[in-house]
Amino acid sequence: MNLSNPIQNLLLFAALALFLYLFFRPVNGWYWIIKNNLNSNRKVVIEDLLKQLYTSENAGTLITTNDLTLRLKYKNHQIIEVLQEMALTELIVLAGDQIQLTPLGREYAVKIVRVHRLWEKYLAEKTGFDKSEWHHRAEDMEHRLDHEATNELAVKLGNPIFDPHGDPIPSELGNMAEITGSSMVNLPVNTLGKIVHIEDEPDVIYKQILAENIHIGSQIRIVENTNKRVVFYSEGEEFILAPIVAANLTVEPLDAASILEEDAVRLSSLQQNEMAEILGISKECRGESRRRLLDLGFVRGTPIQIDLVSPLSDTKAYLVKGSSIALRTDQAAKVLIKKLG
Amino acid sequence: MSAADKIIEMSNELRWRLGNEFHDEITEGIYADAHEIVAETVTTDSRKGRNAADIAIDKIVTSKIWGFPIMFLILAIVLWITIIGANYPSSWLASLLLDTIHPALKDGANYLNFPWWLSGFLIDGVYLALAWVISVMLPPMAIFFPLFTLLEDFGYLPRVAFNLDYLFKKAGAHGKQALTMSMGFGCNAAGVVATRIIDSPRERLIAIITNNFSLCNGRWPTQILIATIFIGAIVPSVFSGVAAVAAVIGIAVLGMGFMFFSSWALSKTLLKGEVSTFNLELPPYRPPRFWKTLYTSLIDRTLIVLWRAIVFAAPAGAVIWLISNIDIDGYSIAYWMIHALDGFGWLLGLNGVILVAYIVAIPANEIVIPTILMLTVLVTGIHAGEGAGVMFELGSASETGELLSAGGWTLLTAINLMLFSLLHNPCSTTIYTIYKETKSFKWTTVATLMPVFMGFVVTFLVAQLWRIFFQ
Repeated sequence: MNLSNPIQNLLLFAALALFLYLFFRPVNGWYWIIKNNLNSNRKVVIEDLLKQLYTSENAGTLITTNDLTLRLKYKNHQIIEVLQEMALTELIVLAGDQIQLTPLGREYAVKIVRVHRLWEKYLAEKTGFDKSEWHHRAEDMEHRLDHEATNELAVKLGNPIFDPHGDPIPSELGNMAEITGSSMVNLPVNTLGKIVHIEDEPDVIYKQILAENIHIGSQIRIVENTNKRVVFYSEGEEFILAPIVAANLTVEPLDAASILEEDAVRLSSLQQNEMAEILGISKECRGESRRRLLDLGFVRGTPIQIDLVSPLSDTKAYLVKGSSIALRTDQAAKVLIKKLG
Repeated sequence: MSAADKIIEMSNELRWRLGNEFHDEITEGIYADAHEIVAETVTTDSRKGRNAADIAIDKIVTSKIWGFPIMFLILAIVLWITIIGANYPSSWLASLLLDTIHPALKDGANYLNFPWWLSGFLIDGVYLALAWVISVMLPPMAIFFPLFTLLEDFGYLPRVAFNLDYLFKKAGAHGKQALTMSMGFGCNAAGVVATRIIDSPRERLIAIITNNFSLCNGRWPTQILIATIFIGAIVPSVFSGVAAVAAVIGIAVLGMGFMFFSSWALSKTLLKGEVSTFNLELPPYRPPRFWKTLYTSLIDRTLIVLWRAIVFAAPAGAVIWLISNIDIDGYSIAYWMIHALDGFGWLLGLNGVILVAYIVAIPANEIVIPTILMLTVLVTGIHAGEGAGVMFELGSASETGELLSAGGWTLLTAINLMLFSLLHNPCSTTIYTIYKETKSFKWTTVATLMPVFMGFVVTFLVAQLWRIFFQ
């Protein structure tokens, strides 16, 4: 091949770059699509169907074959075939158009849910993947981890009871903690409560929740609840949500006696020359980051104030126990303080 | 069911009832207790904790107005002292090791009737590469590292990290990478070792992999020489010095640009799963312990790096001599390699000589230019230097320029050599250090291949655009 024409060379290069981009771009790259298709064998389809049935039954809705074909990305004939096979192996009962899980099917579904939630916990505690990626990665992993590996993982994580979104993780025997509390849209104005669960599906709404910087475990007070918007105060900030978004937040109401930190605000709101006392670290601060903050003395009762502000503003140094420690704004938002005086 | 099983079952049951937050509560309890014990038993002299002088210095070095100018001024002074100051001991070492001892060794070998290939292999190959690396590498490192360590010891460097953190945050990196990057201006291997100050695994890997984009001591002289010969020549001679300096600084700044870009790209792709935390302690200032600093920086940084470079340079010298002196079908191996790579080199706006030089001179960037000159003589048959496989440098930039022009060099070759000198694989000392630090074959490979791949792409694009617009 003659490569002495520079224009032709540039065009060749552009074509190659485009091809590589189409092949490897995140999510929709051909490479990933081919890889996913190779992976979507019968076992994966069965497990996805079981999980779908399990969630619908828990929500109290009956499900038909039609619903399944709409909700899952598999081809219709594939779903029908797999459903028939599942009926034969007694995972489900087909009654006309309706589908129900057998106890055996339920047990299987709970196991998959266990892997999914444990893996989300693992991603949150032991890796640096962004919150928005946990769900997709767990969706992939839930089909791959066998029983023993799952138990090892649970032990490694200290047999957690809840996943990072606040969903209970089934134990090895299938026991699960109860979630108490109700969806935020159902709560009357002036309710005091604690956010105990943030639903991570559908993606679009979860991304909005993430963008608002709403933290699980934070105490809230509802100030407005209409069919147009839900407004609540939490950690010194005001949050305004569309009802469809607020519906994905589960709040456990608290009685006045158990409210300890109503005047808690985020460290990020501290101004220069203000004095404050640390109340604790938000549940959103996990794993290595959390331990590091504790090591540095960010514990309840410690006085704190701003020492220096970086010329580019985002990073601030705080005076804690006589030493100056710099944190970024997103971290400071996860430390709760009480302003003094 | 045995008694043990019953106990295990009961413990599981009890664990379940403890609830979700007991781990945190225990941890916080321990810290709170420790805090109380400290409060009761340890007395501190001042309740404020920080002394007035520290606060005053901090106010200036992190201020919106003075923070950045002070930083750039200090970096510029350190680099200037290093580059200028290193010239004297370097030329002294070069005249001793290259001009005095080298001929003496040759004479000695002749006197002892060494066969020509043995004295060539040992003295022109191994010894010369060692001598070259020591004379060019040792002085700048022995000046740069103590200066840097003094600043570190004083407590100023964490403030630099603090000032620049936002920029690095945008690139998914840690503010302390500003320090390892500056250290890389001295030596990339030392820069890689210095990433130990970053305790977050993801940001540390980013700092290690991108350190090579800091133009190191071994590459400054190449940049300055080529810029003086070719860039200085295209402007009126009054401005030639300024133009050459501007070109070199431009390359260094371009390197920082590539560092930020690849940090960002790595943190969004390959490294997004690695654990990431951030904190930065701003320690109190203290007067630097001059002699101790001098000693530790010479021992810990300079000599360790120099030793690694020597270990790698010796075999490289042997290889350089061998490929120039072993003939196949009437021509040396070097000739055949140059020939094979000429086409690819031309596509990148470089040439076969440059690519071969970068392959065989992988142990140290310092010997790239001598190798290029030697190979140019080898293929063009011009009468210069001391024979096949003997690296050399010419007395003046203009002589070097004439030789290179005779070797077919153009302005494009010079610009692309400067770019390729910035964007190519780290030297073998650095690669080895990366492996020692990461203990990972995978990350060492990424750190080695990513820059050279970027170098291919950049020089290729520049060459094509150049040929469209200027030819």
